[in-house]
Amino acid sequence: MSSPVVLLDRITKRYSGHTAVRALSLDVPSGVIFGLLGPNGAGKTTTIRILLDILAPDEGTVTLFGSRAGGRAHAARIGYLPEERGLYPKMRVLDQLAFLGETKGLSRWEARRRARQWLERLGLGDWMQRKVQDLSKGMQQKVQFAGALQHGPELVVLDEPFSGLDPVNSRMMREIVVGFAREGGTVLFSTHIMEHAEQMCDRVAIIARGEKLVDGSLSQVKREFGHRHVTLSFTRNAAAAQPILARPTLVARAQDYGATAEVQLAPAVEPEELLRALVAADVGLSRFEVVEPSLQSIFVARVGVEAEHPPQEVA
Amino acid sequence: MTKVLAIIRREFIERIRTRSFLVGTFLVPLLMGVFAYLPQALARRETGARRLVVLDGTTGGEGARIAAALAAARRGEAADAPARFLVERLEARGRMESLQDSVVRLIGLRDGPAGTPDGLLVLTDEAITTGTVTYLGSNVTSIRDMRALDQVLEPAVRRERLQRYGASPAIMEAAALPLKVNAAKVTEGRLTGQSAEASFWLAYAVNLLMYITLLLYGMQVMAAVLEEKTNRIVEILVSSVTPFQLLLGKVIGVGAVGLVQLAIWGVAGFYVTAALGGGRPAGVEQMAADGGRQSLAIPPISPDLVVVILIFFLLGFFLYSSLYAAVGAMCSTQQEAQQTNAPVTMIIALGMIAMFALINEPAGTLARTLSLIPLFTPMVVPVRYAIAPLSFLELGAAVLAMLAGIGGVIWIAARIYRVGILSYGKRPSPRELWRWVRQA
Repeated sequence: MSSPVVLLDRITKRYSGHTAVRALSLDVPSGVIFGLLGPNGAGKTTTIRILLDILAPDEGTVTLFGSRAGGRAHAARIGYLPEERGLYPKMRVLDQLAFLGETKGLSRWEARRRARQWLERLGLGDWMQRKVQDLSKGMQQKVQFAGALQHGPELVVLDEPFSGLDPVNSRMMREIVVGFAREGGTVLFSTHIMEHAEQMCDRVAIIARGEKLVDGSLSQVKREFGHRHVTLSFTRNAAAAQPILARPTLVARAQDYGATAEVQLAPAVEPEELLRALVAADVGLSRFEVVEPSLQSIFVARVGVEAEHPPQEVA
Repeated sequence: MTKVLAIIRREFIERIRTRSFLVGTFLVPLLMGVFAYLPQALARRETGARRLVVLDGTTGGEGARIAAALAAARRGEAADAPARFLVERLEARGRMESLQDSVVRLIGLRDGPAGTPDGLLVLTDEAITTGTVTYLGSNVTSIRDMRALDQVLEPAVRRERLQRYGASPAIMEAAALPLKVNAAKVTEGRLTGQSAEASFWLAYAVNLLMYITLLLYGMQVMAAVLEEKTNRIVEILVSSVTPFQLLLGKVIGVGAVGLVQLAIWGVAGFYVTAALGGGRPAGVEQMAADGGRQSLAIPPISPDLVVVILIFFLLGFFLYSSLYAAVGAMCSTQQEAQQTNAPVTMIIALGMIAMFALINEPAGTLARTLSLIPLFTPMVVPVRYAIAPLSFLELGAAVLAMLAGIGGVIWIAARIYRVGILSYGKRPSPRELWRWVRQA
């Protein structure tokens, strides 16, 4: 594997009263779509800001493209879309994009050329000379995406890129991001929408309370944290299944949806044991399927465990 | 550096494109012209003659003579100018109070018959002796009317008093001569040809200019910082440029707009003053001799004063706009920023108020000390220079003090700015601010 584009080594960031990120290490290889997953307040945005040199870590080091020079030194090679993002409302669309290109080190002429190109590509050709405030919210989001990608970066960092987008725009942006990765670009994006991560990511890391819980390729993560999941569909006597699903020697966790249930087996319990118990209790089943867990369930399981056993706060 | 240039260019172009820039740039000189011209025009505007009733309670014919003096007063210099007062004398003959009551009832009647009096002048022997004359009129708030009445009455009453003591007409003539001090400004042993009044107005104008421009452009920097913060574009920007570069580009961009605007105002101001004739010392003397008419006389502005104004505007602008940028970065809303900038604005206002001390003693200890305190230097030095040019040594020291001050202020402001632009929500306490400054 090629050397990682992003390498975070035990970074820690403390704010007054709490630790936002704790000894977090990550490596993002070249050419992958990397999902940084976590609940709200997990430290995703802080991690991203540290990686981009917007914040300085209290401890630990950031290596980008094999150099410790910091995100801003590599600004031309990085595209960034923050979670809270905006544009100058009174500026013309073309000028706005060109200005963003210039701050990335493009010449004025080149910045305008690329801005024009991207606006055409996103179907905003007719809006170039209009003010940003005249654009619909969806159009503004397209302009923001273009701003992160137009200067031809090798790495794009997207913080919650699809939140607040309507389904059509969301799909369009996802296609752009995937297209960028297919052309060899590296993508690091944070999200708490697991379906997006599941569909797009080659690798994921789940963080909660500033600490990394899970890290690896999507299939690795599923293999490591999967296999112990069973999906059930009841046809009859579902009530009799309740005490069995509540038995801690058998079941670690169960999501009972009524007619169906998703079950996580307790450690060292084979699926057959659960099946035997259900049959013995005369529960009617139309489906008993050992499934690869969804990222969603891994996320809920891991983050939930974390929530139940919070780490000691450092004073 | 190209990134900073891009920020400067954006700031400059986006600003001069706005409607408010156009309005501000062209409306301000227009208003300046109106404000300079209006008082003169209003002062020149003559109203009709005032109808005066002189209630004469004197016993030696003084009332008649004073009434005649009033009737002889003209509006203007020419011999055939119209009379200032239409005087009607009523002899009291012991009916002082009843006559006074009936005349007062007529004063100021809007729909009264033709010849309704504007005022009643009560003359008695006692009034001549004590010099306290009663005037009851509808026009007592008119400074011009009262001054005109004064100008005629004072010498006339004085003459009557002298006559009582048997003074000869020659003595009375000599005693009636008013005192006039012809003050002229001397700078470094040279007569400048400026009148004292002109010096005051020049210093005042320079002071006002510094105050307004520092406040105006400082606030613009604050608003720009706040705008980027509330628009949330700032995070994208600081991923490519350092907060310091962003701050620098912003300050220089707004400063450049300010210089352009000042230049336009300067040129416009020159033409306005030239057109009004206020630029020539003769005009100023004329006005000073003009019976003290209130008008904004703009005295001649020397090129070296312009250079001093520009240098200290720029230095002051860098200092204060950095402070205002820090304020903008601390706040999350316009209202918050309006409150938080008060301390900064107050310091500028203090510098402005200091002018009144400087005018009395432009080279005194206070003036010299304030010139070396960077927060006050930009207001104090140009004002002092307008009153009396400073030596190169003193100017140099002031510039050095400013540069040191700017360095310190920018260092602190940039640190507050760096943390502040990404902090939303509650405004930081002074303690928190200090932590922001200390943070690596």
